[in-house]
Amino acid sequence: MRNEKDDTGTGQTKPIQINIPISEEVIRGLKVGDFVEINGTILCGRDAVLPKMVKMAEAGNDKTLMTMLRGSVIFHTAVSIAGIGPTSSNKVEIEGSIPGLSKAGVKIHLGKGALSADTMAALQTYNSVFAITPPTTAYFSSKIISQKVAMFPEEGMEALYEVTVEGFPAIIAIAHGESIFTNT
Amino acid sequence: MLTIEKIREGVGKCLVKSGTTYRADQFEIYKNAIAKETNKNAKWVLERLVENAEVAGKRGFPLCDDTGIPHLYLEVGDDLDLPKGWLSAIHEGVAQGLKTMPGRPMAVKGNDIERVEQSVGLSDDPADVLPVPAITKPVPGNRLSVTVLLFGGGPEIRAKTYRVYHKRSIKTVLEEGASWMAAEVKNLGCTPCTIAMGVGRSHTEASMRMVEAMRHGDLRKQSEWERKITDIVNAGKVGPLGLGGDYSVMGTFLKIGPLRASGIRVVCARPCCCVEPRRATVSFDPAGAITFD
Repeated sequence: MRNEKDDTGTGQTKPIQINIPISEEVIRGLKVGDFVEINGTILCGRDAVLPKMVKMAEAGNDKTLMTMLRGSVIFHTAVSIAGIGPTSSNKVEIEGSIPGLSKAGVKIHLGKGALSADTMAALQTYNSVFAITPPTTAYFSSKIISQKVAMFPEEGMEALYEVTVEGFPAIIAIAHGESIFTNT
Repeated sequence: MLTIEKIREGVGKCLVKSGTTYRADQFEIYKNAIAKETNKNAKWVLERLVENAEVAGKRGFPLCDDTGIPHLYLEVGDDLDLPKGWLSAIHEGVAQGLKTMPGRPMAVKGNDIERVEQSVGLSDDPADVLPVPAITKPVPGNRLSVTVLLFGGGPEIRAKTYRVYHKRSIKTVLEEGASWMAAEVKNLGCTPCTIAMGVGRSHTEASMRMVEAMRHGDLRKQSEWERKITDIVNAGKVGPLGLGGDYSVMGTFLKIGPLRASGIRVVCARPCCCVEPRRATVSFDPAGAITFD
């Protein structure tokens, strides 16, 4: 899965290709600082819907949602005509959803900003990771193949969306109890 | 002749420019940082941000999906006769620009309580994101200049306005403000940022001075205290996206207003994110000629 160093002379490694759904083994192979590119259908949601999804996952009686979450990537973003881009993952409703959604099968939480030690511990418990990506909306527009509302359409741009992407860039920031953030 | 149609059209284009382009000083400072940064993760982020700005400028896409809340800074020439309805035309231009860019449709619907609780949903119309009441300043001459600034949500979580007991020391006041920002940038997420800081007699004025600093600031022309504030925050080595390195902050925009006899100064500080300050200015002369900056 891991690619060799590239020959561009930049010192950066070629990104690891991550395909959805993501297996436990793929996550175990990731480490902090890995550059990745995500391919497939990611879930996009933020403050308004993530706590609702946790409640539904805890109840466990919505098979569509449970299937959707297993091996998934959740990108902390709104989806609108302006595009997509990471919102702060350390907002209360978003960071608070990470343990519950990891337990339900989410493998990569994608956003920005440092997370707490408690959230890091939960990620480790459920073999999930946190990845970050810059707020490069114009660039992302070239990586989106399709998008549709999956749940909670009444929330508008904060609805849960399924967005199909190719080569979507990110850095693994928290994995297996380690963090890339030097100041947390 | 300057007409309300020209004002409307010019302000609309100005808003789109504000939300889709980096200024020359931003490109220059980012490219200098890429050349100097030795942390490979930080360098990767800086390169992506420049690439994003190049794509945005070329294709007219928003720099960030949080297209921000429009803030207006108006400079009205003393010798200029403005057409009837000029201020409404500026607001209509903002609405037109939000539809064209497009802005993110994020206005919350409902009455006071419903809006606070976000209980009846969002408007689908980007133009419903209304501008903040404008700051207006008289200037010599015969031109009207409208600066559109777009404020994203992340920095609003981390901004702070508070009093500082100055003890008759500029160092005390500005280092206090810098310390707030040093504590906040590590959680901002979208670093590197530009610190905007205003000092005034009231909380309202300090906020307005901060906007004034954003109106005039240039990352290539930094005063002694702007450099000191930048250095204080950069000492934390938070870096782009919190990944470490030398560039948590690309620069500081500082404006100190008139002050009063008092033991305190009010400081407003905001860590503007890596696509900010999103700023563009459109100027109109009496003949109706339009220029953009």
